[in-house]
Amino acid sequence: MRLTGRKGRLVLGLDAAETQLLTTLIDELEVLVDEDESGDRVLERLNPAAYRDDPDAEAEYRALTQASLRTQRVDRMAACRAELVRSGPVDLTDPDARERWLQVLNDLRLALGTRLGVTPDGEPQLDRRDPAARQWMVYSWLTDVQEALVQSLLP
Amino acid sequence: MGGMAGTLTPQREATEEQHGDARAHPDRPWITIVWDDPINLMSYVTHVFMTVFGYPKPKAEKLMLDVHHRGRAVVSSGTQERMELDVHTLHGYGLWATLEQQT
Repeated sequence: MRLTGRKGRLVLGLDAAETQLLTTLIDELEVLVDEDESGDRVLERLNPAAYRDDPDAEAEYRALTQASLRTQRVDRMAACRAELVRSGPVDLTDPDARERWLQVLNDLRLALGTRLGVTPDGEPQLDRRDPAARQWMVYSWLTDVQEALVQSLLP
Repeated sequence: MGGMAGTLTPQREATEEQHGDARAHPDRPWITIVWDDPINLMSYVTHVFMTVFGYPKPKAEKLMLDVHHRGRAVVSSGTQERMELDVHTLHGYGLWATLEQQT
């Protein structure tokens, strides 16, 4: 992963393995968001309650907002995946594209981080053969990409 | 002067009588609260506050640090409809946001 800004342009360079990884992660999250199985921890994290102490207001709010939140997520993932399929560097010069990528990367981190049970204490010490070790590596890579991107946007 | 005091006093009493029932206070503002979570990056949260609310960086950073250190921060206030919109936008960004009527 290499984020380069030059002459007002911002470009995210990804190698073939990184492109494949992002495509797979997007595919998996898209299926989950689209199926919308209530009770899934990741979906609960992506769609938290708006009203903490008012179940009636929450039900009404959800009925009005859930479909648009889901469509929003699926649309941005589809747009990002289409840019990955072109297999060149991703052009993030357009502010809308940057914002969309930031949101998609964040959704992926929220999904993976929730599955891994991320705590404020950070990464646990894992044996390299532990299947979760690879997941943690992916999570940490997503974090690096997002941090680089957001730092390039902050004034 | 005396007349003004006379008109203010009954209103204050009425407010106190209704205390405890949020629905009885249509004029009390609503607030959007963002809660701390271990996944969202501090820089990202700052960026979201600047982008969604148009806050300057120092204000966005202060709110982000309040979320981080105190566990929550009030990020906007206004009508219930407006706060529902803010919460919806923040959920779209993956932030853990709720709304409630100010007590």
